[in-house]
Amino acid sequence: MHAAAQESTARAMSDARLTATLPAAQLVRHATGGDRDAFEELIRRLQRRVYGFAYQHLRDADEAHDLAQEIFVKFYRNLSRYDAERPFDPWFWKLAANTAINYRRKRIPLPAEPAQEAAGPDHPRPTHDPALVEALAQLDPAYRMPILLHYYADLSLEQVGQSLNLSIPAIKSRLHRARAQLRNSLAEAEETEETR
Amino acid sequence: MNAVPLACARVRVLLESYVDGDLARDDAPLAAEMREHLAGCADCRRQHHQAVSVPFRLKALISPPPRASLLADVMSSIGPAKTGYRRAWTLVAPEAILAAFILWYLSGLDGLSSIASGIFGDLQSLAGWGSGTGQLPSVPRVDIVLLIALIALAAIAGYHLSILIRLAPGALPTRRAARE
Repeated sequence: MHAAAQESTARAMSDARLTATLPAAQLVRHATGGDRDAFEELIRRLQRRVYGFAYQHLRDADEAHDLAQEIFVKFYRNLSRYDAERPFDPWFWKLAANTAINYRRKRIPLPAEPAQEAAGPDHPRPTHDPALVEALAQLDPAYRMPILLHYYADLSLEQVGQSLNLSIPAIKSRLHRARAQLRNSLAEAEETEETR
Repeated sequence: MNAVPLACARVRVLLESYVDGDLARDDAPLAAEMREHLAGCADCRRQHHQAVSVPFRLKALISPPPRASLLADVMSSIGPAKTGYRRAWTLVAPEAILAAFILWYLSGLDGLSSIASGIFGDLQSLAGWGSGTGQLPSVPRVDIVLLIALIALAAIAGYHLSILIRLAPGALPTRRAARE
């Protein structure tokens, strides 16, 4: 009995290790066949980037949690639509970007100071580069989305283009304009800081 | 080179393209003018530094980590593996049809014993044909149909079992495909 339990644990650990080494496309194939462990592994791999993406898009821990959850639920419902012959990242981030855009459209606008969250394990207060976070929040979503996908989710220009159904020159143009706006906002923030 | 010096406003519009190296590739003389302008204009130089730092700052942007409950929340939202359950129930239909056919053909214990004696006789004839003392036994067509039905039933039942094992709570997932 004890040996059987040990063998079962060893098998479970071996399966977990095996799952952890599988490429995303193969995990999607397993998940589509009803393998919940494979789907959990996909969430584990993506959750940090997805939550970060949602957080930078909404700047609110609770809403980012809801949006990340919505993205993963949509991902689960669309598993069968994924074509394993195509790269996984653009397909997934296209779904994530569309979900984020729709989520933002239907959500109730936040108060002027969205960072008024209680500090704690569930509400960590971001302290890193607040000027940039603020500048990013001022951007139009049409400009913020390529910025988040390229610099935050680490997609190539081509993958961002595929995710947002835009050509590479169009993506480059949006990124340049977005960065110019960020630069201006940061310069203004620095000037304000200096005059204080 | 253009006789009119670049205006600061024009320089600032082109800064990101200049920083990415696109301008040098697409319009080298304009990029050279930019370089010249930046060397002599402190305000634009400050903007240039800012333009260079923005991509690095964006890449270094840190978000708070997701809540520990995110995975569990997602898994509880999606509920049980509906596709698997649906497939598991769908498989009952062909299994039932095949089992009914086989039972009808066997017609209870009498049918089973007649099948067994028939198979024994066929094997004996086959052995005789192998040793050169007899003729190849003729197998009734309905027996071939029965054999195909049995193989199909075994295959569907095996697949069904694999789905049921995967759906059982706490069961270990199969990783056959992963080992392929």
